[in-house]
This record gives sequence, C-alpha cells and structure tokens, in this order.
Amino acid sequence: MIVLMIASLSSCKKDAVPETNDEEVITTMKLTFVPVGGSASFTYQFDDSDGPGGNAPMQDSIVLSSSTSYVVTLQLLNKTTNPVTDLTTEIQTESDAHRFYYEPSVGSNLTVSQLDNDDNGVPLGINGTWSASTAATGTIKITLRHYPGTPPGKETSDPVNSTKSATDVEVIFNTIVQ
Amino acid sequence: MKILSVFILVLFFAFSGFSQSCQIRLSGHIEDADTKEKLQVATVRISELNMVIVTDTKGDFVFPDLCKGNYTLVVTHVNCDPVEQKIILEKDYHTDIVLPHSRKVLGDVVIEAQKGIPNSGFKKQLSGRSIDETRGMSLAEALSKLNGVTMLQNGSNVSKPVIHGLHGSRILTINNGVRQEGQQWGNEHAPEIDPFIAEKLEVIKGVDELRYGSDAIGGVVLVEPRALISKPGHHLEFNSAFFTNNRQFVLSALFEQQLKKQPAFRYRIQGTYKKGANVSTPEYRLNNTGNEEKNYSLTLGWKKQQWNTELFHSHFETTVGIFPGSHIGNISDLLSAIEAPKPSDVFLGQQAYRIGRPSQKVNHDLFKSKTVFFTNQHKFSLLLAGQFNQRKEFDVVRNAANTNPQLDLNISTYTEDLSLELPKKKNLTGTAGISAVQQFNDYRGRYFIPNYQSNAVGAYFIEKWSKHDWEWQAGIRYDHKGINTTRLKSNGDTINNQFQFSTFAGSFNVMYKPVDECKINMNLSLSSRAPYVNELLCDGIHHGTATYEKGDVGLKPERSLSLNTGAHFVHHDSWLELDFLAYVNVIRNFIYQQPMPDNPVLTIAGAFPLMSYQQTDALLSGFDFTAKCSLSKNVDLNTKLSYLDARNTKTNDWLVLMPANRISNEFVYLLKKNKKIQDGYLSLECMNVMQQKNIPGSMNGKQDYKVPPPAYFLLNVNSSVAFLVHKNRVTIGFSVRNLLNRSYRDYMNTMRYFTDEMGRNVCIRLKCQL
Repeated sequence: MIVLMIASLSSCKKDAVPETNDEEVITTMKLTFVPVGGSASFTYQFDDSDGPGGNAPMQDSIVLSSSTSYVVTLQLLNKTTNPVTDLTTEIQTESDAHRFYYEPSVGSNLTVSQLDNDDNGVPLGINGTWSASTAATGTIKITLRHYPGTPPGKETSDPVNSTKSATDVEVIFNTIVQ
Repeated sequence: MKILSVFILVLFFAFSGFSQSCQIRLSGHIEDADTKEKLQVATVRISELNMVIVTDTKGDFVFPDLCKGNYTLVVTHVNCDPVEQKIILEKDYHTDIVLPHSRKVLGDVVIEAQKGIPNSGFKKQLSGRSIDETRGMSLAEALSKLNGVTMLQNGSNVSKPVIHGLHGSRILTINNGVRQEGQQWGNEHAPEIDPFIAEKLEVIKGVDELRYGSDAIGGVVLVEPRALISKPGHHLEFNSAFFTNNRQFVLSALFEQQLKKQPAFRYRIQGTYKKGANVSTPEYRLNNTGNEEKNYSLTLGWKKQQWNTELFHSHFETTVGIFPGSHIGNISDLLSAIEAPKPSDVFLGQQAYRIGRPSQKVNHDLFKSKTVFFTNQHKFSLLLAGQFNQRKEFDVVRNAANTNPQLDLNISTYTEDLSLELPKKKNLTGTAGISAVQQFNDYRGRYFIPNYQSNAVGAYFIEKWSKHDWEWQAGIRYDHKGINTTRLKSNGDTINNQFQFSTFAGSFNVMYKPVDECKINMNLSLSSRAPYVNELLCDGIHHGTATYEKGDVGLKPERSLSLNTGAHFVHHDSWLELDFLAYVNVIRNFIYQQPMPDNPVLTIAGAFPLMSYQQTDALLSGFDFTAKCSLSKNVDLNTKLSYLDARNTKTNDWLVLMPANRISNEFVYLLKKNKKIQDGYLSLECMNVMQQKNIPGSMNGKQDYKVPPPAYFLLNVNSSVAFLVHKNRVTIGFSVRNLLNRSYRDYMNTMRYFTDEMGRNVCIRLKCQL
C-alpha cells in the first residue's frame, strides 16, 4: 500500500478542467412586445451575459406608446453556454412549479393581464398583455418564483413572497409611457 | 520528499540486528490519574512471563533481570480500572503509569497535564460512559458534550465543532493520527469522520498542537481509535441505536483478532450503517431532512521487537437532505422567511426516508501507513497518508430530470510525517518532526473556489522538562505553503494566481502541582494560519445566507497569541472536583466577512449584499468552569458553565455568529454494583442556553438580518446499565433529548431563519462486547 501511495503521488498532477457550464445560471431576460393592431414588434432586455458577479448587467428602459396594448412574450436565456440555452422551454415543462409575477409601480400607468396558465389552470406568466394608458414614468418588477416542494403546491392565491416558493429571477425595469 | 521517504523506510528495515541479554531492569511508578496519589499495593503483572509484583508505599515497582523482549504490563488496583501497557524492552527502562479512577468513568471533562509528552497541555476528553452516550450522533454533536465546545449547524444533519468560538480551518481535526483534509472551510461542510472509529475524542490546546500544524488557532480535535488487540484471540463489539424522532437507526460492528500462530499480526474490521428519516420539531415535521451514512474501516498491524507497522483504510460516505423550505433565491426571500412564524405547509408533514433535492453527498477515503522503529531508545515514526474527498451539492433545479450536482469538488491530499522521540535524559525529553503535504483540488459545475495545487512543508521541535512538582514544556514549528490556483472560464479565459505563505508557531506551557490535590497550568501559544483558498478567491452567491461572497488575494496569514490558565482541584476523598480554564486569544489579521453596503451585486435574481473577506483584529476571551460534587453516596451533581466574549477590536464591535453563554446542571444517580449489574446510572441534565446579545451593530453594514433567537432551556435524560451475560458485557442505554418537547431555535444553526429545532428524541442503545 505504501508503494502504491508513493507511486500515486507522482502521478496525481492533473490538468485544470475548464469550468463546465452551470445549467442553472440565468443571464438574460428578454421581453418581446407585439403591439395589438399590427405595427412592428420590438424587444427590451436585462442582460448579465457573464452571469452573477464579473461585469455589471446591462438593462434597457421599457418605452411604450400611450393608449396601446401589447402581447408580451418573456424569454430567459443562459448566455454562458455555447450555443446559448433558452430556459423558457424548461420552465414551460415544469410549469406547475414556476410562476412569473408582474408588478407595475403605482403611477406607471401600466397594467398586465391575461397571463397564460399552467396545466392546472394556475397563472404561469410566460405570455401576457400589457396595456399602457396615459404618459407616465415608473417601474415594473418581474419576478420568477420557483416552488421546490414535492408536490409544489402552487395555487392562484399565492402572493409573490409566498414561503412556498423562492426567487429565481427578480428584475426591476424603468418604464416610460409616452 | 517521496524519494526521501522511501529511502528512510529502506534504511530502517536494514536495522535488524539484536542480541539476547537478561539483565535488564524494568522499573515503574503508579499514580491515580485523578488525584495524582501514589498507589501502593497495586498489582503489576507481566502477562507474557506471568510474573507479579506489588508496588511499595511510594507506588514504585522494579523487575530486575529481564530479557529483551515485548512485554505487556497489566496493572490493577482496588480503586481503579486496570490498565495494560505494552513495553518493548531493550535497555533498563522506567515507566510512569497513571490508573484511571473507576469513578472517573463518569467524568467527561479533564484538564490535565499528564506525565509524558503525548498528553501535555490542556485536554478535554470524551471517553467511557460519556462517549457511549453519544453513539449514533455526529462527531460535532458528540464533541459538544465537552464544556467550551459548541456546534455550528445547518439543520440537524450537518454540524461542525466550534471551540471557544472558533471553527472551520481554525480547528485541526486529527483522525487516527492524520490531519483531516476535506472542504473544511465551508460552514455547511461537516467533518467526514465516522465517530464509531473513535474510542476517545479529545480536544487539546497547547504545546502538542505543534505536532499537527502551526495553524491550530482554535485547538485540535483528536479522534483516537483504541489500540489493536494485544493478546492472542479475538474481540467482537456490536453497537446499535434507534432514535424515535426521525426513526433513525444505527448499526455498527467491530471485529479484531490476533492470530495464535502468527502473534505479530493483528487486524480489525469495522463498519457502520446509519439511516434516518425526516426530522420533527415539536409542532411540525420537516420534509427532506433524512440522512444516510455508510462507513467502514480496516486496520492491519504487524508488531515486532524493534518495529511495528500499521496500515489503515477508512471509507466514509454520507447523503444528507436539506430542508427545501430553506431554499432562498435572494435577500427578499430571506426577509419573508424571517417574517413567517413557521415554514409553508408544502414543506411539512412527510414521514419518509427518501432524500431529494436539495442535498449533499460526500465521500471521504483515507489510506494510512504508520511505521514505528525503536533504536537505542530513540523512537522514529513514519506516517504516510492519502485522503480523497468528493463533495457534491445538489440544489433545487428547474428541470426535475436533471441529476447533476450543481457544486462538485474533489480534493486529494497526501501527507508524509516523520517524527523522532528522543530518550529521557536528566528530566528532559524531546520530540522533533518534519512533515510535507501535497494537495490537489478540482471543481466542476458552479464556480465557488478554483482548481489548485498546494505544497506545504513543516518542521517542529518540542522539549519537555519535569521534576517534582513542576513540568515545563516548550515547542516551535515552522511551515511553508505554496498554492497555485487556476480558474479556466467557459469562454477560454484563465485566471491564475500564485501564493506563498510562511507561518510560525511557538508554545510554552508550565504546570505546577503545589499539593497533590491541586494543579495549576498555564500556556502561552503563538499560532499562525495561512488564508484558505476560499478566503482568497471565492466569488459567488452563498445561497444559505443570500449574500455574494468575494475573496481577497491580498490577505495575509492570521496570527494568534493566546494565553490559557487552568486550575484543577480534586478533594482527597474525591467528593469534589473543580476545574477552571480561562483564556484570552488575541488574533491579528483575523479573516472575516465584512458587509459592503454601498456595493450590492446586481444579478438577475435581484441585488445581493456583498460580503468581502477582510482582516481585522479580534479578541476572544472567556472561561469554562466545571464542578463535580458527590451530594450523597449515590448522587453526583455535575455543573458546566461556559462564557465567551468575542470582539472585533478595530471596529470596536462584537463578532458575528459566536456561541451564546450556557450553563448545564446534571444530577447523576449511580446504581449499586452487584454480581449482575456491573455499572449503571440515571441522569437528568438541565441545560440553559442564553440569548446571544453581543452581536455586531449595523453601522458597518448588516452582518445578520434576524435578531438571535431567545434563550432556551432543555431537559435531557441519560441512563445505562451494563451487565454480564455468559461473561460477555452487555450495555443497554436509554436517553431522551428535549424531554419537555420545547420549541426553540439556536443562534448557531443556519436554519434558525426558517424552522425550530428537533423536538423530543428518545434513544435506545445496545452495546455487546464478545
């Protein structure tokens, strides 16, 4: 055994293994706005392409036209992988354990409604309709909550800070309705 | 170093010439371990020769005219438990033997400077009854029975020892002579050791720390297996325990043998299996808090006249569930958890052994060889060891089909130690040693610490002088450590760092025994600890505390100067025993996490408070007091009190996460011994843990978001009875923890934000020795 151990001493020098990608990292939230009534779609995003730490995230302000409704689709991406991973499908698959919340600030003159549901009929929130009324500035907080319980126990009445769920994403955008 | 080790080995095997002469004189002195009383009329027997002598009024004995050889001395005295000592006789030899007082089986705290280098300085010990009571518990839980030792926990399954407020890399854990190396830097990383390996658990401070490293700022934990069987035949021991709270069962067995035909060869095999289901607090059961452990060890020993060698292998494997209700994504989650009086019902109520995410899976393998040579009363020991540690942490993931760990760390450590004990000359004895450590760490998955290779070398020298009532000891040690780190990012960038640290330690101990009943011990120690890789280079979110932790490559070694003063008193009738230890530990460049309130780290999961590793000066001071008093012939009262103050002297504030002061009183009723009952007792322990009020303010940034939990009071019951069945000793134990089923939370448990502690837990234990 001694000989074995000494032999292994000289053979244990290893080359560093490159950082494998953490599939749980979310770097980017992308919102695609399709105006109801036909004009061209556009996107806004929160982008932290190197993940937590390192370079600071880049964040757009959301500028919308007054008295307009938009069909909005949300996408989550992991840009530390090559190719970039779209995490939205994962969330779609585990829809009974996830939920997006949209909280426009008072006076932002925004409302978010018609969120899509999971298989149990509880809001999921990957898609929704945003309505901008008169000109204003404010913020909107978008939160993704993840239910770690088995079963998750997700219910329509759960508040955003429910102790059943934990935060995966929490982004606050500045909003301008003009 | 490797070549050197092999060379020394070969050299030592070459020493084998010996001749027979039969005029060797073996003399000795026998004392009571507790009272230090000279024991007259003790019987000393050499089992190999069946020679018997009785000690004189001074407790001395002499066997003149012995031949060279290996002998076993068996010493018995009416008041004491018998002691066996192995002696390899080559020259005239004198041995001092201390006999444990049989009542001492009840004592779990001894601070003593015993004769001989191995036990000098400050020592607290768990053995006999006190270790039996902890069978089935984790290593840290067992150690926390010692006064001055507490636990840092992450739920009920992950715990690590805290000595006088210090833990992690400030404590060295020596597992069967080998310095345990895993990922001990993490607060959620428990020591990877099967407590059933140990016959004795000890915490030492003082000169002997230097044998193991220059960085034992908090102290050294020794996990000591018993010596291999010393007479031809075999020994079988079986331990089992069942805990009602989480339906946890533990089975452990040990078999050892010395062959009659080949008496030089001895071996032992040992194994433990432990499985627990979800833990229940008084009001609710916590899902996914099960645990499972599979451990085994194998020891082979070969003993000859001039040398002996021991090969040891142990495997430790554990899977631990983490309560999913503690899964937090950011600081607002933490704040809502703190607001909630109890966790959500979706995380409660399941009675299951199944462990899902989040969880930890840890393997630790140790291979060790130790060879001891005797020449001209010099004793050389060569210890070679390899340790392989794998830690996998499984977080809550979005996709249930994902079976990958999110944190995956592998660390391999190779140690080589060579020590020399010099023969006693004019009341002086000396020990010197050199050691080397090579370490390789690599990670997969999420980054928290980099890949690294480190090389360390060290040397120490310890000298002891004793005469009459005085004993002086001094020692020095020097270590040098080089670390090369590599972080290869996914985009191809490499971040490399190189570090060199030199650390120096010195210790001085003086013990004075003015009268037989009383002993005073004083120790002054300088230790220094090189920063760990996590303190230098960690960079990431710490989910348990919702903070972003960032290391600092500019950190310097910590230097600690500590003064320990102890006094021990035993009344000559031994109805009263008092023990007091006061300590002051001044730590320069104390590494800690400083909140940076002006620089939160913005991520897609919100803004995280930044905690940056920085250095300050710290002052830790306190005392431990133990009293044991016989109230009547059958009733003892044991009192333990421990007090600690921990200051950040630069910011003139308290240090965070320091154990609260506590006092415990235990009434022990001893059963009368008779032909059937060998040993028996029933005890009731009342434990008071105060609220920690000395917490850092928020003027330098928030260190914590919740006020420490209130004081709590627990009642615990312990009992056991031992009897003989066909000459085999059988011990049955019964204990209850948290008898009153109180709901409480502990400041040193990360789960204090989320859940109460475990409720009433009844335990039944059975131990058979065949």
